[in-house]
Amino acid sequence: MKVPRGRLDKSRVVTDPRDTLADVLDRELTGYAVFESQETLLLDGEGRGLITFTDGVPVLVYHTGTDRGGPPALADLAIPGPYHVSIYALDAANLESAHEAADLRVPPGMPAERLGGDPALADSTRRAASDERLRTTDSDESSAEGGATEQSAVEAFLDDAEKIEAIKQQARSEAHERAQQWEF
Amino acid sequence: MVEVFAVASGKGGTGKTTSTVALGMALADRYDVTVVDADTGMANLLFHAGLSDAETTLHDVLADDAPVEAATYDRFGLTVVPCGTSLDGFRDANPDRLRDVVATLAEETDIILLDSPPALDSRTAVLPIVLADRIVVVLQPTIPAISDGLKVQEYATTYDTDVAGLLFNKVRASESIERVSEKTERYFDGPTLASVPESERAREARRAGRPLLAHAPECEAATAYRAAAEALTVQNGAADDAADRFRSAVIPESL
Repeated sequence: MKVPRGRLDKSRVVTDPRDTLADVLDRELTGYAVFESQETLLLDGEGRGLITFTDGVPVLVYHTGTDRGGPPALADLAIPGPYHVSIYALDAANLESAHEAADLRVPPGMPAERLGGDPALADSTRRAASDERLRTTDSDESSAEGGATEQSAVEAFLDDAEKIEAIKQQARSEAHERAQQWEF
Repeated sequence: MVEVFAVASGKGGTGKTTSTVALGMALADRYDVTVVDADTGMANLLFHAGLSDAETTLHDVLADDAPVEAATYDRFGLTVVPCGTSLDGFRDANPDRLRDVVATLAEETDIILLDSPPALDSRTAVLPIVLADRIVVVLQPTIPAISDGLKVQEYATTYDTDVAGLLFNKVRASESIERVSEKTERYFDGPTLASVPESERAREARRAGRPLLAHAPECEAATAYRAAAEALTVQNGAADDAADRFRSAVIPESL
């Protein structure tokens, strides 16, 4: 997907993508955020996720590592942090043509549900979304209350045995390292 | 006879404290249960158990200013060891003394539930998992909660602590929890003990400073917690060695 380069607004390491989503919603930012996991191990070296926003509400999601967009890209991004996140601001007009890519769209509350694991933030995001957004995503967001699409992403995540083994493996080596550091 | 469970989740907001108290009350039908707020940096068990004005707490015990007995309270059929919420209390507390606290409590009870911090980023956060015999992992059916739960399990098993089971919490009606829990179980060393529905009663109970099982014992969520307690097979260790076991709890040599 092509998005014009925006004005760098923030660049930092976050442990929980929820914080970024909450911050962007709070500031009603229009632009995009690039998430880069610090755990390249889990992303085959080069995975970056991009989420665009209009007035703080997520519109598109794309993942460079898997070249997938929309809800599947959220599943690609949903791995333990920390992430390096860069937020860029753009005028709404500059995002118009990118936002025509219907196959990359996600329902407004979905990133908060899936990346942030925060149903309350998802609810606030839906409240902030325009009526038009809610109407157009109604069909695939039976996830207004959780819902079928939402669960299929959790199930898709659970079907990815390789990714889960990588998460477990990483946790085990962290636990070993820290046992020494913490002098257990 | 005693078995120590750490009730743990990698992520905050899963309803871990509500679950700890509810499991404790449900288990108290069959066992003598002690519940300890081991989340010493962000204590909130006291608010769930109507102990917000408790004078002596685990902080005082960990600071060596009070014996454990002074910080235990009988509430709702449980022995409750609340923790204080002040920063000073946290600063003065020596988390290593938790070993002795657990060892002392182990002499007098059947089951100890440690309400553990929702993090793995410090020695203090991980210590309850190290001390426990087994963990109960509290999950929501979301990708972040499940992946954090997996991390908790791997830390626990690395430190020789087993997995007693999973508790899905705050499950919404529309979520296909059976399929999710079945798939989740493939990656965990324990079974799903129960799926607890999202509950307005639980929020009310929290606001009222009462445990869910006292506030709305017949609600669906309370029933699910009782099912979880029923599904938990308690493996009590011998009473005699309990104290020694926890005082000497260390990471296995194989590390």
